[in-house]
Amino acid sequence: MKRYEVIVIGAGPAGLSAACAAAEAGLETVVFDENARPGGQLFKQIHKFFGSREHQARVRGVRIGENLLKRADELGVKTVLGATVLGVYEQKEVAVRTEGEVRSYRGDAIVIATGASENMLTFDGWTLPGVIGAGAAQTLMNMHGVRPGARVLMVGSGNVGLVVSFQLLQAGCEVPIVVDAAPRIGGYGVHASKLARAGVEFRTSHTVVKAIGAGRVEGAVIAEVDGSFAPIPGTEETIDVDTICIAVGLSPMSQLADNAGCEMEYDSAKGGYVPTLNDEGLSSVPGIYCAGDMAGIEEASSAMIQGSIAGAAIARDLGYLTPDEFGERAERWRRSLDGIRSGMFAPGMKGRTDITNTDEGYPLSASLLARGFLDGADDGIFPSMIYSGGMRPIIECTQNIPCDPCQDACPRGCIVVGEDITDLPRLDIGKKCTGCALCVGACSGQAIFLIDDSLGDGYGTVGLPYEFLPLPSPGDPGKALGRDGEVVCDASVVEVRDSKAMDKTPMLVMKVPVSALGRARFFRPAENKNYA
Amino acid sequence: MSVMIRRKNDSPFAPQPDDGMTVCRCEEVTKGEIRRAVYDGARTFGEVKRRLRTGMGLCQGQTCQRLVLAIISRELGKSVGDLGKVTGRMPVRPVLMEELSRSGVEGMESEGAEHHE
Repeated sequence: MKRYEVIVIGAGPAGLSAACAAAEAGLETVVFDENARPGGQLFKQIHKFFGSREHQARVRGVRIGENLLKRADELGVKTVLGATVLGVYEQKEVAVRTEGEVRSYRGDAIVIATGASENMLTFDGWTLPGVIGAGAAQTLMNMHGVRPGARVLMVGSGNVGLVVSFQLLQAGCEVPIVVDAAPRIGGYGVHASKLARAGVEFRTSHTVVKAIGAGRVEGAVIAEVDGSFAPIPGTEETIDVDTICIAVGLSPMSQLADNAGCEMEYDSAKGGYVPTLNDEGLSSVPGIYCAGDMAGIEEASSAMIQGSIAGAAIARDLGYLTPDEFGERAERWRRSLDGIRSGMFAPGMKGRTDITNTDEGYPLSASLLARGFLDGADDGIFPSMIYSGGMRPIIECTQNIPCDPCQDACPRGCIVVGEDITDLPRLDIGKKCTGCALCVGACSGQAIFLIDDSLGDGYGTVGLPYEFLPLPSPGDPGKALGRDGEVVCDASVVEVRDSKAMDKTPMLVMKVPVSALGRARFFRPAENKNYA
Repeated sequence: MSVMIRRKNDSPFAPQPDDGMTVCRCEEVTKGEIRRAVYDGARTFGEVKRRLRTGMGLCQGQTCQRLVLAIISRELGKSVGDLGKVTGRMPVRPVLMEELSRSGVEGMESEGAEHHE
């Protein structure tokens, strides 16, 4: 039986990071993955990640995946694709199906990093073609270039539902409504706001009760739910969609850990059954480590750090790193993990609805939580949203999320987040903004707008992040939309600024009356150039 | 884990309007069948699975496990965490018998009788 020093199961962010950390220390490492392509979910993540520089913030998930693969390759990690692990047995024996046979391998150590599966909802008609998971929608769009449908109802407003809804818009789909059974939008406000200003309506305390159609989805019925999430009779509403996309959470795929004899626990905050682990990712079985979503649902950035810690811990166990060398690395990674796990959306905060203020003491926007956009009541509360004349960034970032690329992006130091990356960005109005637009492109939440009231004749400009193709051209007419997606006024495109540094988040500058500068946040071209 | 108490239901099985809804797609098992199994005494995912084959199809429970657990939990008035562990078994992914048997023979020849499943 072929023996490896480290066998990693799953070539997603956690598994590849574990493999890199182990191989970097000199261990012979193999990664098995059942898919035809490595990278797990990373290659579907075309949006920019949050966090700090050390978490590769403002880098798109797909690039993070490419970098990770390249690194694994350089370090001599052997990645076997189309290799399905069927079981893990005593003495760390792993049964792998490849090319029509099952072979067994033995590892001195094993990392189980098998990720998660999507949760489903049952409702009348849920088995009709056209009811799909949000991950499936991403696979269709971002891996295969196939549009999942023309009009999509999104069910679930967590970050997955919000991010995928935006990608659906980018792919040319309409997303009329996002429903969520909870009374609050679950994901980041900045993700919701990108949708709201493009005209997507949020219905909190609503769920889907029926998929209509003969043979495929031809419509959906949604209804309001009561405090115990039961649909309220009489509130049903039929909406015209051809696709229903389900984004109601993930469950850890932890079966192999159980199969390997690891002690398991049920933890609803982690998404289901997970192995009991120490802070290095070690399970109750010596030599078997676990990392990433299979050990508790989080996101890719923390999965990568968990994987790195597990890989390095194995290197220490097997004598390739001294305890001190491991400790040094682990301390840095743990600090980084604490950073990405902080703020009002941290793993421990799941389901909490009692938070009413930011860490700074500003009241959370009720409108943002219920409808996905900041409204008039929020103006004047957040200092980063107060416009003081001339060329200025306005930052509509009002929740404590772990993210700070804006402060790194500004070459003039106009934007300050500080040491704690969950703090809200502040504007240093003593520093002069040159309108370079780097902050607009750097903000992963697309929440920064460049406002200038000095165009003359009562006009000014609003620069906004615009990730839609085809890009409008200077002079194109259209409408300026408000944060709620409603038309504010006529607008015309002054310029579309793009650069390598902005990494495909160009800034569209539109001309609007000065009176509209505080409200105009999106541009809809008059002529809707088609995607077909 | 708490002691499992089983006794015959005194009250008749109460049908629900959506009992006909499919829950396990691979094995075509309805909500009503799962509720009935619980009514008849099944108390865990494994027990429902043995009666109805829920989770034994192509997806190996990837889609329905959570849904079945939720139904059992509602029927019994217990939280999912109190229903006992769902056992992860080899093969965690479907595999052709042909592949499994062919490989088993080779494995036995080259490695001796180390397989202990």
